[in-house]
Amino acid sequence: MEQQLKANKQWMGARMERKEDLRLVTGQGKYLADIVLPGMLHAVFVRSEYAHAKILGIDTSAALELPGVIAVLTGEDFRTEVKSMRQPVLLPNLPAAYPEYYALAVDKVKYHGDPVAVVIARDKYTAEDAAELVMVDYEELPVILDAEAALEPGAPQVHDDQPGNEMFAMTFTGGATEEEQRANEAAVEQIFKTADVVVSNRFRVHRTGITPMEPRGVLCDWTMADGLTAWITTQRPHIDRLALIDILDIPGEKVRVIAPRDQGGGFGVKAPFFRENVVIAHAARKLGKPVRWIESRYESLMSVGQERDQVNTLDVAATKEGKLLAIRNRGVANNGTGQTGVYWGFVMPFLGQVEMPNVYTWEKGDIKLRVASTNKACLTPSRAFGHFPTRFAVERSIDMVARKVGMEPAVLRRKNMVPQLPYTTVTGEYYDSGDFLKVWDNLLTHIDLPAFRREQAALREQGRYIGIGFACGAELSGVASELLVPMENQPGYGAATVRVDPRGKVLIFGGDAPGGQGHETTVAQVVASTFGIDPKDSVVTTGDTGATPFGAGTIGARAGSYFVSAVHKACADLKEKITHVLAHDLGIRATVEEFSFINGEVIYLRDPSKKKPFREIVERIIMFPVNLPEGEVGGLEATAFFEAAKPMICFNGDFCVVEVDIKTAEFKIKRWVTSEDVGNVINQNIVDGQMHGAIVQGLSNAVYEEFIYNEQGQQLTADFENYKLATAADVPDIELSYASTPCPHTPLGTRGIGEGRPSSVPGALSNAICDALAPFGIEITELPLRPSSLWTKIKAAQG
Amino acid sequence: MFPANIEHYSRPATIDEALATSARFEDGEAMFIAGGQSLMQAMKSRMTRPRCLIDLQAIAELRGICPDANALSIGAMTRYATIAADERLSGYFAALRDAASHVGDRQVRNRGTIGGSCCWNYVASCMPAVVLALGAEMQLRAAGGASRAVAAEDFLIAPLETARAEHEILLGLRFQAPAGRGGSAYQKWGLVKDALPVVGVCVAVTLDAAGRCASARVGLAGLSAGAHRATAAEQALLGSTGDAAAIAKAFDAAATAADAQGDKWADMAYRQNLIRTLGQAVATSAFARAAGSKE
Amino acid sequence: MQTVTIKVNGEAFTESVPPRLLLVDFLRERLALTGTHVGCTHEGVCGACTVHLDGDAVKSCLMLAVQADGHDITTVEGLAKGEELSALQRAFREEHGLQCGFCTPGILMNMTDFLKHNPNPTDDEIRQGLIGNLCRCTGYVHIVRAVRTAAKMLAAEAR
Repeated sequence: MEQQLKANKQWMGARMERKEDLRLVTGQGKYLADIVLPGMLHAVFVRSEYAHAKILGIDTSAALELPGVIAVLTGEDFRTEVKSMRQPVLLPNLPAAYPEYYALAVDKVKYHGDPVAVVIARDKYTAEDAAELVMVDYEELPVILDAEAALEPGAPQVHDDQPGNEMFAMTFTGGATEEEQRANEAAVEQIFKTADVVVSNRFRVHRTGITPMEPRGVLCDWTMADGLTAWITTQRPHIDRLALIDILDIPGEKVRVIAPRDQGGGFGVKAPFFRENVVIAHAARKLGKPVRWIESRYESLMSVGQERDQVNTLDVAATKEGKLLAIRNRGVANNGTGQTGVYWGFVMPFLGQVEMPNVYTWEKGDIKLRVASTNKACLTPSRAFGHFPTRFAVERSIDMVARKVGMEPAVLRRKNMVPQLPYTTVTGEYYDSGDFLKVWDNLLTHIDLPAFRREQAALREQGRYIGIGFACGAELSGVASELLVPMENQPGYGAATVRVDPRGKVLIFGGDAPGGQGHETTVAQVVASTFGIDPKDSVVTTGDTGATPFGAGTIGARAGSYFVSAVHKACADLKEKITHVLAHDLGIRATVEEFSFINGEVIYLRDPSKKKPFREIVERIIMFPVNLPEGEVGGLEATAFFEAAKPMICFNGDFCVVEVDIKTAEFKIKRWVTSEDVGNVINQNIVDGQMHGAIVQGLSNAVYEEFIYNEQGQQLTADFENYKLATAADVPDIELSYASTPCPHTPLGTRGIGEGRPSSVPGALSNAICDALAPFGIEITELPLRPSSLWTKIKAAQG
Repeated sequence: MFPANIEHYSRPATIDEALATSARFEDGEAMFIAGGQSLMQAMKSRMTRPRCLIDLQAIAELRGICPDANALSIGAMTRYATIAADERLSGYFAALRDAASHVGDRQVRNRGTIGGSCCWNYVASCMPAVVLALGAEMQLRAAGGASRAVAAEDFLIAPLETARAEHEILLGLRFQAPAGRGGSAYQKWGLVKDALPVVGVCVAVTLDAAGRCASARVGLAGLSAGAHRATAAEQALLGSTGDAAAIAKAFDAAATAADAQGDKWADMAYRQNLIRTLGQAVATSAFARAAGSKE
Repeated sequence: MQTVTIKVNGEAFTESVPPRLLLVDFLRERLALTGTHVGCTHEGVCGACTVHLDGDAVKSCLMLAVQADGHDITTVEGLAKGEELSALQRAFREEHGLQCGFCTPGILMNMTDFLKHNPNPTDDEIRQGLIGNLCRCTGYVHIVRAVRTAAKMLAAEAR
């Protein structure tokens, strides 16, 4: 028995090869652009050249005359034939000034890239030729690009139905009523008046985001009999389906949305519901032919993947012993047009302010946000959803306090870290479980700080400048209904259907659509571990609304937290039934706990001679359901839902060591070290990969990537020559370490990970640079981190 | 995303055939394609819309690296990868390998050519500045057979503008072998590794018997004027032994004299600083190579 | 229209194509070899479209099909010999060198060529060799490891 237990491979925590990889390394993946339907037509969008203009008229005649062009649709077609995009299904439960808009621009264009018309042709080359021939007559309007300026009286108005350009505003602290909030403000002001140490800074983070390698795409097939089948590069097919039903007014039984099995990354960019979905679906319906749109990189960089773009005026008060007292922030976010459903851009900065307190024990906080509409593309979610800029501001401020009180920043952080969970922050964010101090202490075992300081001092004598910078972050691990319902009017539960087949294979169905996270493998490991079978004996189907349970989507690290928990629950339900029948067949009375599922067998622990191969007992229950115990019916399929009572978190601490060359202000990362609490791990390779990817995304955002608009609102960075992503030669190797606490609220003790992970990167990196350049008194308060701007600061300090 | 319609594609076997095809079209309607790493970008963005594309890949005569006692000749269709791998390009010609081995990425280097780069003369490109510093002579032939040689500084007029006429082909580049010991080097700076140069500096020097600088040419890349020579730096290097002080002075002069633009990659002051720091590194290397260093 | 004959993964294909048809579209749409991906517009920076032209790694989005007439193209579908994966393909699976897989074919093609020229590379050389392939998911760490492992595998197989 012992030997048998040892022989059973441990699938939990394993570094198992991924099931996805065989097809992906042989070029057999099936992404949206690989799906072809007979008779398929191709769509190319005509997009606005102007940031803000009236559409006086659109002449499609030359385009229509081109052989091979089937149709050209404009905003008027959508205004008259299809509902607007501002439908309840796409509206959050937050009070905001939601502007009306249609699938194509109507009356006005409001950002450079705003879709104005769509050409449908027999092939995509012809469609592009025709798109060039569509003549749009514009009358330019004044452009407003700066968020703070947009909120000033007299600024050009972006939306007629949103006077003042304020999309959203909120106070996150003090209480629900204005009176409570004002009392809180006064109390916080009092703290600042009397505190030993106050640091006040205006932190500016540029417009950047996590554009995935695969751009978006939509393929719609419409028949009169069966309605609409829409393949969409989406993280949330079930939500997209609801939106298509409501906006296009198609009965639900005739709408099916399929997220392709393979998607080339999402990172939040494929989580909103986009106008192009409606345009292509409507075009397919009108023409009665399949229509496919594949986004070009140019379109992608024009329209999506733009996030961050915040100014946070942050004050921090502390005692001279380094005890943090109060945090006060006035955040202003640049939302662009706000015309993208589900998030409307502002939900990201909203969450960013909620997460501002991070893991520190503040006595009080006074945190307010205003979100402004401008003539830029609407913000789309990007990993580290909304809090990349706020985390930067807080982690920089912590270092400045540390310098003022003469304390090591790592020590000051530890001193103020929440010592015991659960804990609720001053913005009401709930931290469910974990041990921050354990993770932090583990991080500090990787550096001998006193020795580092000695080396730093010695090198300074030689005119060389090294520095170390710390940062940390509590990140959402799954997004519970408690948060998702108010934020997005959507549920948070995880859902899974598990079907065992008569040959002992297991099929799992999940509604959330992955984009590279390895869900097929992770789930197979969970199922293998639960049923005592091999991971290769299971298969996972995701993302097809016709075949999977309803799920809110692959967002906010829900897989490792919610989806696998639902899988486990469904398997657990099936184990109850299997053991119930087996006990009955064996003529014994036994509960599920008295059986072991191991090495492909189901074994009665009290008498291991009483057992049955998994394959046989499941076949018996599914195919030969006679002589069953009282009340039991045949079949082995279960659907389970998992919801945590409260949102959950994971946690990471980082440090990096840099050397700055003061002749050129170039900085080189010598080490990047992390310490993570990820709960129990299912696949260690996958978790490691998530961390590497997130940190490099953070570096790329902080240093290389920037969306730039000129004064006329022309976006100048819509290709990879101008919007530069970090290559392998630009980023360092990364040392990961783990100091996890199993999550008490999930059946497997797992935590969802990876979503917010990039957020601690800009803080750690800029803290390291400021530490290196401390003799010059340089404090970084703006991103991106560029040698050019850093060099100017050094020169100024040198006098 | 996709090029505009191309009516004709031809792949001539000889130079004369290529020129004759070109001459059948109005000015600007026919274009020669070499490696295509720049031209394809321009065609796909529809910045350029040739009616006729004349592919030079089949003309073997246009490829090759031929050094002899008097000169180095490189065929216009010679790929960056070939240049980067040729160990004979050392000493005075080492800058060619420095530049070629860091253009774009290795996929680009497997296609892009030295001739294509010089004829395109993009504002932020490496080879034009290098061939300028090495004093290349551009060998041209026109439809009808007329040949001419044009000095690099007369050939490289302005970004995207060269002295190559319509219906004229660049056959190759000819570099005079230095009198005496020579060395050259090239380095560039961009925001990401091996990016198009925000600033690039090429220095080529020769030494007399006493070890003093007998000739100095400095080519700058990345400035808005396109590839040009930093004559102030050249003057300052002449007669020096390549000591640190002389080099520092030379590139202070170059930095001050440079008409450096500010843009999203670097402001004017930083560009000038790059001229200073890159120039110093490159000049030091050029002098060392002239003295026999193999680095 | 022009008639071209292009050998792809060892098999010759004769097709009538317009001169402006991109090589990547020829492969993906005429030959249904969708393993080669398109990740950028005109700039040819992302490298997802990398294939071999006569054994050299090149970007198929920066070539016209007509330019490949008479040449040999290898795509990711041509790396394995039947069911036997190449060393790089095996190494990428072992080292978790991919997540979404969109950039992966381009990287496999580039690194196959790279290892031919540089069979015993340092990590820095691998990173330098990868400049022409953008990856968003992995942060490159496991990719570098996979290339190193593949180099070891190839060296062992050669012995």
